[in-house]
Amino acid sequence: MTSEDTIAAPRPRPIQDEAQLPPVKDPKMSADGVSVFYGDKQALKDISIKIYDDRVTAFIGPSGCGKSTFLRCLNRMNDTIASARVTGRIELDGQDIYGPAMDVVQLRARVGMVFQKPNPFPKSIFENVAYGPRIHGLSTSKAELEAIVERSLKRAGLWDEVKDRLSESGTALSGGQQQRLCIARAIAVDPEVILMDEPCSALDPIATAKIEELIHELRGRYAIAIVTHNMQQAARVSQRTAFFHLGELVEYGKTSEIFTNPRQQRTTDYITGRYG
Amino acid sequence: MSSAAPSRWTGDAMIRRVRRRYAAERWFKLLGLGAVGLSVLFLAFLLVTIAAKGIGGIDWALLTGSDSVDPARAGVWGALEGSFLTIFVTMALAFPVGVLAAVYLEEFAPQNRWTDAIEVSINNLAAVPSIIFGLLGLAVFLNVMNLPRSAPLVGGLTLALMTMPVIVIAGRNAIKTVPPSIRDAALGVGASKMQVTFHHVLPLSLPGILTGTIIGMARALGETAPLLMIGMRAFIAAPPGGITQPATVLPVQIFLWSDEVDRGFVEKTSAAIIVLLLFMLAMNGLAIYLRNRFERRW
Repeated sequence: MTSEDTIAAPRPRPIQDEAQLPPVKDPKMSADGVSVFYGDKQALKDISIKIYDDRVTAFIGPSGCGKSTFLRCLNRMNDTIASARVTGRIELDGQDIYGPAMDVVQLRARVGMVFQKPNPFPKSIFENVAYGPRIHGLSTSKAELEAIVERSLKRAGLWDEVKDRLSESGTALSGGQQQRLCIARAIAVDPEVILMDEPCSALDPIATAKIEELIHELRGRYAIAIVTHNMQQAARVSQRTAFFHLGELVEYGKTSEIFTNPRQQRTTDYITGRYG
Repeated sequence: MSSAAPSRWTGDAMIRRVRRRYAAERWFKLLGLGAVGLSVLFLAFLLVTIAAKGIGGIDWALLTGSDSVDPARAGVWGALEGSFLTIFVTMALAFPVGVLAAVYLEEFAPQNRWTDAIEVSINNLAAVPSIIFGLLGLAVFLNVMNLPRSAPLVGGLTLALMTMPVIVIAGRNAIKTVPPSIRDAALGVGASKMQVTFHHVLPLSLPGILTGTIIGMARALGETAPLLMIGMRAFIAAPPGGITQPATVLPVQIFLWSDEVDRGFVEKTSAAIIVLLLFMLAMNGLAIYLRNRFERRW
């Protein structure tokens, strides 16, 4: 029996009182006037957002509003779409990620990603986590690699469930375990930022609660940006929220303010369930 | 509750309607069964007549001997060896070139008018009659490049031209079935395009590529016409010593024997057909085994 079968899953308590958190440093990533075009169609208009260490930034908005598109700009996953064109400036630690000095492969190792549908490689659990460190040459010996795998699985809260079956296939795990395996795979290369694209949308409520709890634990170690269509989730896990609508950034600010005292009528309408 | 609805569902018109539907289904099943029966009948007819004529001809002398003017001493070993050598050359060329082309077109090539044109050309190439490839082989490999006539090398080159588009098409289809989420996953941890392709996409599509390759090879193995064009129809009384020695192949040997006036060759022809069919069966069986063994559902 995995612990997913028990009902008493921990519910993360929202931390919106930022006094409990370390003070805000310089932004880890900052986007300035970012627009994205698919062919002639403009998908994002002039987006400016900052992502901080020790903070979780949530992107919310109705389907098709561009929040996932924006997330995929932050590690240049949009490069794989031939018709996509990005303008504006996105910086990681002050360096332009679309500039000539930035290598896209290195960028994606520094800015890891967790996808909507759990997508483990059809390989063993160990190989799933070891893949990133292996291609980047992060370990010099087998023991070192095993230590990285163990540490990553522990941080992803999966170690106790899989430590006796690391050689089994990653695709044989349950959906929630697969998603935590994907998180372990992302953190195995020791990224600075983790992007999560609706990581819980394919999961049941208990698996979702575990991922949310995990996001809280990872917050102090990585800057995190999460796309979610679930406003309660945004309120639970994030300290900053950006509300997207029709390709525009309607409002961006502290989660506590967005949810209790929104400045824009559209935000109010969305978070009170008037549309979306 | 209205009384109209139940009567509509139980009335005569509706019952007739339902009966017609079942009748249509019965007719379709019958028709389908007939179609299957017809093709099975032909196959059975072929196997029975060939077996009746040829099974007595299968003996050690047939399997170890080479072609001879005396039907009592003629055997298929020389042709079989020619087939092996030819197919080896075909495989060594068509497989790597075909797979590389498929990978490039699917993973690296930009999607534009040129790649569209290439795709159409490759599809057409796969449908070109094999005799045309034979003529091409004759013109290029024999007349221009002066390679030895009747040799497995030239036969293999010609068949490779013919098989490569089949492998490219099978390879592209196999690569297309690898879900984009796997590519995203690998790119997401910082794998380069090459690493994504060679660590993930290619291994996952290899079973499909192999299945397509074996079917292409089986087709090449049964090919006669292009090999006639490049002179592999010569009378070869000794098994070939290498890929540049004169040789013939199994289907051509069957063609040659079927033309002989000597009655003794009738049995030999049928026996050679049985050997060829068994060979084909083994290759197709291998393809099915590989597909079932490695097939992956996403």
